[in-house]
Amino acid sequence: MRMIAGLFAAALALPVVAQDFSAGSEAKEWGLLGEEKARFEAKVVDLLCELAGDCPADCGAGRRQLGLLRAADGALIVPMKNGQPLFTGAATDLFPYCGKDVEVDGVLVGDEEQTPAKFYMVQMVREVDAAEWARANLWTKDWEARNPGPAAEKGPWFRKDPRVNAKIAESGWLGLGLEADEAFLKEYFQ
Amino acid sequence: MRKLVWIAAFAALASPAAAERITVTGEAIDTWCYFSGVMGGADAVQGTAHHTCALWCAAGGIPVGLLAEDGTVYMVLKIAADDAANGGDMLLRIASHVITATGEHHVRDGINYLIVNDVVADAGIVNLTHEDYGVVPDFAIPEPKE
Repeated sequence: MRMIAGLFAAALALPVVAQDFSAGSEAKEWGLLGEEKARFEAKVVDLLCELAGDCPADCGAGRRQLGLLRAADGALIVPMKNGQPLFTGAATDLFPYCGKDVEVDGVLVGDEEQTPAKFYMVQMVREVDAAEWARANLWTKDWEARNPGPAAEKGPWFRKDPRVNAKIAESGWLGLGLEADEAFLKEYFQ
Repeated sequence: MRKLVWIAAFAALASPAAAERITVTGEAIDTWCYFSGVMGGADAVQGTAHHTCALWCAAGGIPVGLLAEDGTVYMVLKIAADDAANGGDMLLRIASHVITATGEHHVRDGINYLIVNDVVADAGIVNLTHEDYGVVPDFAIPEPKE
């Protein structure tokens, strides 16, 4: 009995067998490593809950990373990126769907020499059976709501983010301190 | 009896998988740039060259990973009581740092996850990649105004 359960647990750890999920995908190509268009149905899950049984009722209220439990094969897919070209992840866009069955469209990425499993960029999402797609581009709207002052200024969020700017002011662009920065920048912009 | 064994096995499947307690030393990296190749080779998106971008990505909610010395990347889901793996302050504090952490290691569908119980050492930023790669992406540091 224990052996059978062990075999199942070992099977869970294995990389997902490559399948083609590109049928019907309207995802934009980004030219990334190992990129494949992928449209599939999945349940949006809280990764800590799924892996460790740590399951707050509200899916972590937006604090946590979320996963996509793919309907076709039960694989747990990690959505790393939303559809914006702005250094933005996917969890904020997927949070309204946590616990729900959705259809997602986007691209799987990752080189098989570097990682045994691909990661996902979600570009569009809708609840299963819903007619309309939602673009996965909510992150910046959420940031603007949380940072109304900086949002009113010119420039992209990452140039104005108070937390990022505080870190750079404290330890420099390289993270080595302001003195190291000064010496580097003098040479870099010569 | 056989039926019961199968029911128990499927119940095991539906339950969270058992974790292994490990200690791992590695650099806190921006996993999207590392795995997607969006900024070029993996060596260039680590350390000082990529520190500013690592801050942007951590703040932007891209998962932070721990790149261990053997090349394994552990997706960090929680650090001690802090489960804010979607852009939390702790992730900005450790961006590009080489840390040693103890925690629960889960593997699922080929991906490694780490639930950190304790950061037992923080060596700071020691991977001086700017010496080889400058700044990645090259627009990360704005040119000083005249």
